[in-house]
Amino acid sequence: MDPTTVLALICSGLVFAGWLVLPHAPTTVKPAVVVSEERQPVSVSA
Amino acid sequence: MKIDAGDTAWVLACAALVMLMTPALGFFYGGLVRRKNVLSTIMHSFFILCLISVQWVLWGYSLAFGPDKFHLIGGLEWVGLNNVGFTPNAGYAPTIPHQAFMLFQMMFAVITPALISGAFAERQRFKAFVLFSLLWATFVYDPIAHWVWGAGGWLHNLGALDFAGGTVVHISSGVSALVAALVLGRRLGFGKQSFAPHDSTMTVLGAALLWFGWFGFNAGSALSAGALATNAFVVTNTAAAMAALTWMTVSWWHKRQPSVLGAAAGAVAGLVAITPASGFVNVMGAIVIGFGAGVVCYLAIQLRERIRVDDALDVWAVHGIGGTWGALATGLFATVAINSGAANGLFYGNPKQALIQLVAVGASWGWSIIGTFVILKVVNLIVPLRVGEEEEVLGLDLSQHGEPAYAGIHPN
Repeated sequence: MDPTTVLALICSGLVFAGWLVLPHAPTTVKPAVVVSEERQPVSVSA
Repeated sequence: MKIDAGDTAWVLACAALVMLMTPALGFFYGGLVRRKNVLSTIMHSFFILCLISVQWVLWGYSLAFGPDKFHLIGGLEWVGLNNVGFTPNAGYAPTIPHQAFMLFQMMFAVITPALISGAFAERQRFKAFVLFSLLWATFVYDPIAHWVWGAGGWLHNLGALDFAGGTVVHISSGVSALVAALVLGRRLGFGKQSFAPHDSTMTVLGAALLWFGWFGFNAGSALSAGALATNAFVVTNTAAAMAALTWMTVSWWHKRQPSVLGAAAGAVAGLVAITPASGFVNVMGAIVIGFGAGVVCYLAIQLRERIRVDDALDVWAVHGIGGTWGALATGLFATVAINSGAANGLFYGNPKQALIQLVAVGASWGWSIIGTFVILKVVNLIVPLRVGEEEEVLGLDLSQHGEPAYAGIHPN
């Protein structure tokens, strides 16, 4: 195996193995802000 | 010399692929700027496509590829495409019409100054941009193209390897971008307000189109439809993918989340880095080059942020540093098993090639820095480089072009 192939395998191994230790989810989850555009009924007095 | 129909068809199709890269770059950059500047950012790329298309046939091609003068520049014998006909030029591409070669090279000349526009996005006066682009193409791009690719150019004679433009396209544009960012100064509100991309989907689409066009950029540089083009195609795709994976992984580790824009930027960094090497390295070399691009370009952005240089769209980090890494890596991983007409690199027993690549990188950096600085100062004497504060706050779409990008939506 030539040196370039060895280097390529090391690089690929670093990236693929890195995924095993990376966080599964964001460390902080911000609550979603829901914006309602529905109009509220307005009472109209006669 | 006999014209080969297959080679000619391939090179013409690749010229069209490379042409697409410039508007694709406009969309890549356009998504990254604020809503009030998207149209002006896209216009930079679109306008340069038009400007350099004309400059190239008038005098650009002659300066870059015309008969050599002092190993530094092409002569004026080919101005207006005089003597550039349909008979193949044996020195450049012996199986296709000379004009097909000229056209293919035109698209490289087009995209290079367009790359720089990312550095001064959101603040450069359009008139200054027009003057700068014309002068830069003539006095920076054309000479470097002649040094590296022109028959008789001094880096060409030295044996520098640059298959598709690591030095000519990416180092020249990336380093010039850094100079432009320093000369123009930071955008109003830099470091105080958010410059978040206004449309990341546009950027990812632009990156995908760039990737597509890059097959023409690199595989077309074989100038024939055969094994060398196939190798360039394979290593281009591999390096782009590896760099995207690497960048995403590094940013995931650093910022705790896998960035979508990071994956797109990583792919572009990989494409940049494999560009000079694509006709000289094998697919294992491409994996190493892609990995290196993902790491060094990401680190370059961290450095750029730390020293507070407002290279708005990170042209220096991706193209300048990515191109430098690719040019140097060509001196490490090149092998005559891929291209018998070239040379081995350090890993294949030829350390001298690594030194030659270093000289080519240094010369490209040096000329780009000097040339760009002088041109910017000259242009500034004629027309101010930056827009006024009010124009910058209003946005360049309205202040420079009088058109909003999205009708009915406030540009801010």
